[in-house]
Amino acid sequence: MTIELFNEEFKGVSGKLKSYLLRITASAHDAEDIVHDTYVRASEKLHTFRGESSLKTWLFTIASNLAKDNLRAQKRWVENVTDICRQEAMGNPEFFREAMHISATSTQGAFEIKEHITFCFTCISKSLPLEQQLCVFLKEVYEFKVNEIATIIDTSEAMVKYYLHTGRAKMTNVFDNRCALINKEGICHQCSELNGVFNPKQKFQEEVVKIEMAREAAHGDKEQLFDLRMKIIKEIDPFESGAAALQLHHLDHNRNVMEKYV
Amino acid sequence: MAQNGKATTEKKTFSRTTSISTGIQADPAIIWKLLTTATDYPRWNSTVISVEGNIALGEKIKLKSTLAPKRIFKLQVKEFINEQRLMWGDGPGNRIYTLDKKNNGTVTFSMVEKIGGFMFPMYAKYIPSFDQSFEQFAADLKQEAETIQNATR
Repeated sequence: MTIELFNEEFKGVSGKLKSYLLRITASAHDAEDIVHDTYVRASEKLHTFRGESSLKTWLFTIASNLAKDNLRAQKRWVENVTDICRQEAMGNPEFFREAMHISATSTQGAFEIKEHITFCFTCISKSLPLEQQLCVFLKEVYEFKVNEIATIIDTSEAMVKYYLHTGRAKMTNVFDNRCALINKEGICHQCSELNGVFNPKQKFQEEVVKIEMAREAAHGDKEQLFDLRMKIIKEIDPFESGAAALQLHHLDHNRNVMEKYV
Repeated sequence: MAQNGKATTEKKTFSRTTSISTGIQADPAIIWKLLTTATDYPRWNSTVISVEGNIALGEKIKLKSTLAPKRIFKLQVKEFINEQRLMWGDGPGNRIYTLDKKNNGTVTFSMVEKIGGFMFPMYAKYIPSFDQSFEQFAADLKQEAETIQNATR
């Protein structure tokens, strides 16, 4: 493959690579750095790329290895991360001042419930063991096949199936217990609270019924609701959406809180 | 040992041994991971209330079973041969799990627990039968491992 063709193809993959890295690191800065390092490493090693996998799989492999080096040194988050970070935010007027400023001035400062759903999933997925988190994102959001994921994270297909199954099961269960959008008894109402802060004139219930996952909550089974949650996440680019600046600010806050907490 | 998922118990004066064996159509790595991931047990195994600790050689774990929900069994992992053999136990008893991969892709899962000692005759009557719990354990493991193996998603 020529460097020109590689550059062209890299450009096509880099957006997805960056969003994947954001979702597994919870850091826009780290995601950007790792995308850059992936480009450097891949272009240096381009002569070793024999097309045994797709270029996209190869790039995700390099990026995942770089991210794993970074993530293995860090502790995993906890599944009630959003409760803990909410408490911290409530005691920190600066957090809301910054958020309101972004909301008022940024073209990507809107608060959108769907965007918050993806933000929430990013945070809670960091409570999964790393391999489970990687497998869930690679399969459910970036649509890699099991054999491709085995290549990317350097394990067997059997283990990918195990990580996927257990990761999905845990996340399904966590959201079934927590998320008030799909369970009336759910303990987490952050998206309605934040919608009230940033969109005070909006009627939350009218917005919620626009979301298929919430509409299906009463009669959808847990697995189906998880799939609908994944559908929302797949459709959103966390760097490009109209709510990106606000959600990246929230993510930055949660990462700082978790770095001190875990 | 018959691979029919039926438990058998052999009683002797100073010991009691319960065994079960079943064929599982799954990669041994999946079965092994299920057997050695402590925190995940309650999700798939209806005979286990909780397992705390790290299932690795020499480590101590705390197990709560539906057979005696008020007791916490403090056990030590005594053998750990990857994807082949796992043993944990305490003073009077040891439980051994073995995986044996056959050429046809089936894995024979066996579980044996022997409890005994000089004092055994004095407390034997207080120990409930393990048969039903063993059968449920093996059935749960088979179902979970085969579900994961056959996932087409």
